[in-house]
Amino acid sequence: MTEVTLNSSVQVRCGASNAFLVTASLIEPLITEFEMQGVYISASRGALELINTLNEIGVATDNVHFIDCVSSALLGGTESTFPNVSFIDSPIMLESILLRTLYNLNTMPGESKFVILDSVNALAIYNEDRMLAEYLHTFINTFRARDVLSAIMNVPDQTPPGVLANLDLYCTDLIDRGQVVIS
Amino acid sequence: MGASDSIELLGESRGPCSDTMLGTPQYKRDRCVTGVHGLDEILRGGIPYGSTLLVGGTCGSGKTTLAMEFVVNGARMGESTAYFAATEPSVKLLENVRQFSFFDMDMVDKGLLNVFDMDVAYSWLGLTKATFTMDDVNALVKAITDIVNTIGVTRLVIDSVTTLCYKIPNDQLIRDFLFTLGKTLATQGCTSMLVAEITSAGAKANWSSFGVEEAILDGIMVLGDIDRMGHLLRYLQVIKMRGTDHSRAKYALELTPNGVMLTPMLKWGVDI
Repeated sequence: MTEVTLNSSVQVRCGASNAFLVTASLIEPLITEFEMQGVYISASRGALELINTLNEIGVATDNVHFIDCVSSALLGGTESTFPNVSFIDSPIMLESILLRTLYNLNTMPGESKFVILDSVNALAIYNEDRMLAEYLHTFINTFRARDVLSAIMNVPDQTPPGVLANLDLYCTDLIDRGQVVIS
Repeated sequence: MGASDSIELLGESRGPCSDTMLGTPQYKRDRCVTGVHGLDEILRGGIPYGSTLLVGGTCGSGKTTLAMEFVVNGARMGESTAYFAATEPSVKLLENVRQFSFFDMDMVDKGLLNVFDMDVAYSWLGLTKATFTMDDVNALVKAITDIVNTIGVTRLVIDSVTTLCYKIPNDQLIRDFLFTLGKTLATQGCTSMLVAEITSAGAKANWSSFGVEEAILDGIMVLGDIDRMGHLLRYLQVIKMRGTDHSRAKYALELTPNGVMLTPMLKWGVDI
């Protein structure tokens, strides 16, 4: 990644086997090269596991706030020692995810911010297709209007076709399994 | 009028809160900016000054936080505000609200935010009976009005008016009480929120506990929960607001450390 446009919305497609590598290669330049701050919405795996793995490969996560939509479903999963993690009761609370993201972005002092949604296919497990498509439409436009770079991750094989079609339509850029396809 | 004139007129109407689908009204009442995230946008700029609102909601829906944020935001702008606590002692209320970053105890110390215990007010007025008479109701209205006048209160909350109305024996007296209170507060230029407890906030529910409050007051805001697959999502909906155009949609409400935040509720997610 050599440049970012703050009001762009990037659809990031990954394979079932390389999702974490794609995540790491996406977030690392945003933090280190572009010195951005942002919010990571974690619906695929718990934030604590993600932070530990990112830290192990040398990606600092201090300037990222994690919104964990997974761990509340696990008894004891929300016992976090990280101040930059907040928990959402369920991935079905889509509006809460949006408002928590906006709140955390507002508390960050910098000008250049990002939001990563990981992932659409995880949200699709819990949410009905029409509602998820509506949500993504709102999500993309909300952050574009606020000059926040949004990256929306998905595994295409596991994402409902209607939802995927909406992403194709509303996202400004597409990165397909690490390859920039449209920019 | 040519096409260019039309475009120019449309351009003129694009003020921050003036756009409506019906165009811009010729006259716009001055607004009391609530400062609550999203609410002023829903109300196209804020609550018309001097209005008395009913804020009805189910338990845990965020009524007290919303009402407290409304008065605190006024105090932050240098206004004198008053909060009448009838459901919990003021000490407990302040202790609960201190977790929010919008709250600053300095406002209480400086006299910008005045929190009163209704129980203390009742004792002070000698209203220790279980049921109020018309004279008692008048004495209470006068006491509230005196406080408003003395301190110069511009924002007021009674939380909740339901507990107060339980002491008033019939609907006619409740109607008289609310009408007189609303009229007096409006005369003083005081914008007020009367918090009401309701048991359900669905389409067929009453907006108030006694069914008479909603007809008299200038505005009605309802807070409730939507059950989405076993999870309760808070929402806010403005049912009525005299003197302004406003959205009538449901808005998802989140209680963040910075207070209330609102966003339009997903249309496909309202009736799951």
